[in-house]
Amino acid sequence: MPDKTPLIQVKNLDLYFGAFHALKNVSVDFHSGELVGLVGDNGAGKTTLIRVLCGIHKPTSGEVWFDGRQVKEFHPKLAIDNGIETIQQSVGLCDNLSIARNFYLGREPVRRIMGIPFLDMGKMRDLSTKVIREFGLRDNVSADDEVERLSGGERQSVKIGRAVEFKNRVVIMDEPTNHLSVREREHVNELALQLKEQGLLVIYITHDIFQVHKLANRIVIMENGEKIEDALTSSMTADQLEEVIRQGGRKVEKREAV
Amino acid sequence: MNTLARSQSFGALIGVAVMLAVFTAIDFSGWWTRATIANVIHFAAILGFLAMGQALVIMTREIDLSVGSVYGLTGVAFITLTPDLGVTGAVIVALLIALAVGFLQGIAVVKGQLPSMIVTLGGLFTARGIIYVWTGGSVHNFSEDARADWMTRLLGGELFGIEAAILWLLVIGVVLNLMLWATPFGNRLLATGGSEDSAESRGVLTDRVKIITFMLCSVLAGFAGILTLADRPQTHVTLGELLELEAIAAAVIGGCLLTGGRGSLIGAVLGGFIVTSFRYELIALGAPSSWFITFVGIVLIVAVIFNQKLARRLGHSV
Ligand SMILES: Nc1ncnc2c1ncn2[C@@H]1O[C@H](COP(=O)(O)OP(=O)(O)OP(=O)(O)O)[C@@H](O)[C@H]1O
Ligand SMILES: [Mg+2]
Repeated sequence: MPDKTPLIQVKNLDLYFGAFHALKNVSVDFHSGELVGLVGDNGAGKTTLIRVLCGIHKPTSGEVWFDGRQVKEFHPKLAIDNGIETIQQSVGLCDNLSIARNFYLGREPVRRIMGIPFLDMGKMRDLSTKVIREFGLRDNVSADDEVERLSGGERQSVKIGRAVEFKNRVVIMDEPTNHLSVREREHVNELALQLKEQGLLVIYITHDIFQVHKLANRIVIMENGEKIEDALTSSMTADQLEEVIRQGGRKVEKREAV
Repeated sequence: MNTLARSQSFGALIGVAVMLAVFTAIDFSGWWTRATIANVIHFAAILGFLAMGQALVIMTREIDLSVGSVYGLTGVAFITLTPDLGVTGAVIVALLIALAVGFLQGIAVVKGQLPSMIVTLGGLFTARGIIYVWTGGSVHNFSEDARADWMTRLLGGELFGIEAAILWLLVIGVVLNLMLWATPFGNRLLATGGSEDSAESRGVLTDRVKIITFMLCSVLAGFAGILTLADRPQTHVTLGELLELEAIAAAVIGGCLLTGGRGSLIGAVLGGFIVTSFRYELIALGAPSSWFITFVGIVLIVAVIFNQKLARRLGHSV
């Protein structure tokens, strides 16, 4: 892998929310065909880091390179156009819209009538129905139902199904198995592996250390806005991995005590 | 029936039915006269444009308080510019002025990250001030030539025996409904109002959606002003004063939730019909005209309570 140029390259990234220093001099490379586990305590900065990659946050300083080109402008639309699909932790679905409308939001298929683009509702319904069935949503949930009516797990399934359906070059998953039952978790983890096999880059954030140790070929650990570890999964056991995250936690406690 | 009850205009439909029943019961001879009905329909059509524009803005989770002033400013521009530009030229320039007002307000809201309530309150005063300065407080009128112009007749008076304003409302109402419910732009508009962060995370350019919506709202208000003056070509400085309140009331009575993302253009037009009906029924009953605002207030509050209950029953989080 080192012989290839990385697909995404983050160099000396700093990000402040007002006075709060959320990312501290983070540098990390991601390659195509990798499944990278991104782990660390609550509030470590995992979500913030991937939100830079998917264009929601603009870094205060530092560089992001995508496919050999430096990213100058940060907007989710640019990231999506670059082929980065993201399953966000807290946003991504509009409660007031149907599943079908949410599914295609921002990339609606159209049928032109006299040159005017009209929504191709048939296509929107068909594909989103197929995907929610694959994800085992109850039969009485239809693609025309508003997302507001869905349970937490159903919402998560819609988000994952959408990202996998539109997969392109990168799929970022921020705690994708949240709200999911055991069976659906296995399904998602299998999908993540498939994406990797297909040569995509998968960035997988989770608190499930043992699961990520099985899935990922590389693990990046964050702590307090810093990257504290970046190693191939094969170089450590799951117990060792857990221990490193624990130690990170202790380091913070000590610092705070001083 | 189920889809009807789920649509946001359900409350307004019931409101219209109840209102007509009550007016018929208490004042059959006063309400069902040619003069009352003609007035109600004409002014309800005019208010319908403002209500639809307002409804679209409310659906993006913003508000536009400037529509009364923009209605007045565009109307004044239309009349005042006609001697120099001709009727058609004046219509075009007047609508461009309305578009510019909407654009500036939209830019201020999204780029300045300011509450639209404040920005458009500023717009309300600024546009009204320009009307005073421009007209010098005096009344302007149309020449005989301008009254006879084909454009004037297309916008005012009657077409095929039906009032022009009503035909325009039908045409533009259909176009706006298609835009809102059947195009990608409409999907993004509803998404922006429903959850701006989620829409943005899916690549929707929410700033652009909001700016376009403010421009649509202003141009609809301006067009309503032009329709009014094409019908009765005389300006006055208070043209359109307090109309913003009627437009907001109409949109809310029509089922637009101020929490964004939900509403109905048909409902907004029906809401405008309810507001206007109250005005003329009060006149028909011989009540002092100042009672009108009080009644609008009461109807508004009743409608909000009703629509909230309806929305809760349907399981929406409001
Ligand atoms: N928009 C924001 N404004 C201010 N502070 C923020 C913002 N977003 C995140 N933060 C702060 O940045 C820190 C890192 O948050 P982040 O969401 O990246 O953590 P995380 O590693 O994803 O945690 P978790 O495992 O709980 O999801 C937190 O302390 C959080 O409070
Ligand atoms: Mg997180």
